[in-house]
Amino acid sequence: MAMDSKLLHNDYVALIIRLIIGVMFIYASYDKITTPAEFARIIYNYHLLPGELVNLAALIMPWMELICGIALIAGIYRRGSIVIINLMLVIFAVAIAINLIRGVNLECGCFSVSSRAKSNALELLLRDIGLLILGVYLFINKSTRFDLLKSKS
Amino acid sequence: MKTGIRQAILLTTLAVILGLATNTLTETGIPFFGNWPSLAGSDSIIVPPSADEGDPPFISLDEAAAKFQTPGILFIDARDPEDYEYGHIKGAISIPYDYLEDINDPRVTSVPKDQGMVIYCSGTECESSLYLGRDFQYKGYTEVSIFFGGWREWNEAGLPVEQDI
Repeated sequence: MAMDSKLLHNDYVALIIRLIIGVMFIYASYDKITTPAEFARIIYNYHLLPGELVNLAALIMPWMELICGIALIAGIYRRGSIVIINLMLVIFAVAIAINLIRGVNLECGCFSVSSRAKSNALELLLRDIGLLILGVYLFINKSTRFDLLKSKS
Repeated sequence: MKTGIRQAILLTTLAVILGLATNTLTETGIPFFGNWPSLAGSDSIIVPPSADEGDPPFISLDEAAAKFQTPGILFIDARDPEDYEYGHIKGAISIPYDYLEDINDPRVTSVPKDQGMVIYCSGTECESSLYLGRDFQYKGYTEVSIFFGGWREWNEAGLPVEQDI
């Protein structure tokens, strides 16, 4: 039990996971920020958002990814960034799962907006859930050792 | 947890400000509220956000179906050849945008300049129809329209299709 708790609050494990998730989110944001029209089309094809909100989502979501990725790695508002990242991962999982059930062959729009990047929805879902497990670990882990900005709590 | 939520709100606010500001200031900007139909009705026109003012007109499923009934209107399938073979709008010809060397390709130039045409591709997941439409327009074709709902919308509506296999 003591061992478990040690691993759960290990500074270095937390740092490594922060780097993995952070880099992934920053990388994922780039293509979408530079080509919002393409990303809007991909979001529309998920057929989940009302049409009026598609473009707004395409404009804001990549910036959420970028900012939270940076915040998570730097340890500035780290708690807030992991809350948002986990929330986004849950939303992605639901969106992919719904389209998996619908049987739609969709473009993920995860890391690239290229329409050639057709993906297997089940693989996407599993990858997302894997990331979510890491995200939940970071939420539980109370390590503040590598935070630039240590929040009082 | 309270700290987490307060920070999350701050980070979200920052993302909203940066996202909207960047969109306003960059050339790749798109309208804040897109022209995406919520429930794709057959009379709603789907326009991609990458559409520009001078682009050929976008037409709805109803308009495309009406043109289909009009003699002399040519339907052009801009998708890859294998998609075309698998199923296409009845009577459509295949001009696969991704396979064209350039806009002087004989498949393009063999079409008369005043030919009424409807260009489509898979549906909202592809933009080949828009690009091919722009090419035709650039070459001086005057009767170009784009049916952006494409194969998916047409096929789902149960309108006439055919296979080449």
